Amino acid sequence: MMKNLVYFFREALKSMARNHLLSFATISTVAICILILGMAILATLNASHLITRLESDLEIMSYLHKDLSPAQTVKVEQELKAIAGVDSVRFVSRDEALRYLQESYGEDRYDLEKTLGNNPLPDAYEIKAVDPHEVPLIAQQIEQIVGVERVSYGKELVNNLFLATKWVRVLSLIFIVLLSLGAIFLIATTIRLAIFSRRKEVYLMKLIGSTDWFVRWPFFIEGILLGTAGALIAILLLAVGYDTLIGSIQSVPFMPVVSNRTMLLEVYSGLVLIGATLGVLGTYISLNRFLDI
Amino acid sequence: MLVQFYNVSKIYPKGKALDDISLKIDRGEFVFLMGPSGAGKSTIIKMMFREEEPTRGQIFIADRSLVRMKRNDVPKVRRNMGIVFQDFKLLERKTVYENVAFAMEVVGASQRNIKARVPEVLSMVGLRGKDNSFPGELSGGEQQRVGIARALANQPLLLIADEPTGNLDIDNSMEILNLLIDINRKGTTIIMATHDRELVKAAQKRVVLLEKGKVAADYAPGEYVI
Repeated sequence: MMKNLVYFFREALKSMARNHLLSFATISTVAICILILGMAILATLNASHLITRLESDLEIMSYLHKDLSPAQTVKVEQELKAIAGVDSVRFVSRDEALRYLQESYGEDRYDLEKTLGNNPLPDAYEIKAVDPHEVPLIAQQIEQIVGVERVSYGKELVNNLFLATKWVRVLSLIFIVLLSLGAIFLIATTIRLAIFSRRKEVYLMKLIGSTDWFVRWPFFIEGILLGTAGALIAILLLAVGYDTLIGSIQSVPFMPVVSNRTMLLEVYSGLVLIGATLGVLGTYISLNRFLDI
Repeated sequence: MLVQFYNVSKIYPKGKALDDISLKIDRGEFVFLMGPSGAGKSTIIKMMFREEEPTRGQIFIADRSLVRMKRNDVPKVRRNMGIVFQDFKLLERKTVYENVAFAMEVVGASQRNIKARVPEVLSMVGLRGKDNSFPGELSGGEQQRVGIARALANQPLLLIADEPTGNLDIDNSMEILNLLIDINRKGTTIIMATHDRELVKAAQKRVVLLEKGKVAADYAPGEYVI
């Protein structure tokens, strides 16, 4: 088997050298395909990452009537906690709300309390849901509670977010499928030409008594090498580009990016695997039609 | 019996190539397949290699049926045969040595066996010293010797030559014929398709005459004098 392996690789490399222009074109195209594929994957990953972050920040504010007694306020809290799917309930007093407002305006330049005369803000409860998708449902139930004046959770934001996630996933999937088909088609063409330029050899091999697999292996190895080489070039470009991008973006606050080394490594090795698989598929399409002797 | 055809017919869309042929060839025989072009010589040869399958009838090579043989078993049968082509079918980019070694490489022979066997067959066909020449540098007769060496490399039971002298002049043809007779004398069964009467008369071997897809006559060695 070892001596055959050496023979298969030698034949594959010879064939690539013989059709070096076509091999170069195929590797470049695979590289471009994998590069775009990689960019789409990284974009999707970052979008999901961003969405998860926003989703986990999603909270329901329920503002209470101003004339609620402390006992009534506690009762509201108990009712809130009783709703299915509620993760946590936190009381935000009107004083705390004012302090927070003041902080977000920054420094002590404005003394809001003095300017306004008194604190106009109501007491409130901040509620987090176990599953962000249930936020609209929970908000509806909160509205029914006596003592709650108004509920707010950024309805549009939530709905748009889920819609956006869905579209990002669907579109990149379509894009990725189309690109993969293009790469497979190109590899198939290269292998078809490789077989064509060696048709006399293949015919002889078959008549001399080579097994089908002995004839096939060099072509499969050629396809795998073309796919893998294209993928490696793409990953090199992708890794350098993404690293530079992360470097310049991480100085911007509130912009979450995926910079998890293990996760990136998984993406990159996945892309190599995809490159090799494209090579196998492309070769497979061309082979069976030409070896039936 | 090495080769047995029983009532074999082959019908192509454009017409009948073989019509109910029965034929037996024993181990060690030298048989000429004669007849005008279109008589069915090539079809018979392609069937022995199972490049074609019969429409009707049975074919056995070394007692194995070639009809409805599993695809995986075809290489095993082919390894018992060597084939010599009219147009030599040498690989132009490979040297004489590499062309012969190729036949052994593609059936998975070890480098050690290849190194021992290739010089052996090259001297058998009288091409010692031409190892590193390319086919383009050789005469037609020499190229066909390479073709014969390649066919012999895997020590086949049966050597099939399809018009091996078709592209050669009379002197080279005689030399190739004598080489094949020599190989036959050492035990290899030979089937040679040709339409060169002079060659056939000179050889004094069995002759199967084909006409319009049928066996018109089957002459024992020495009987063919026409």
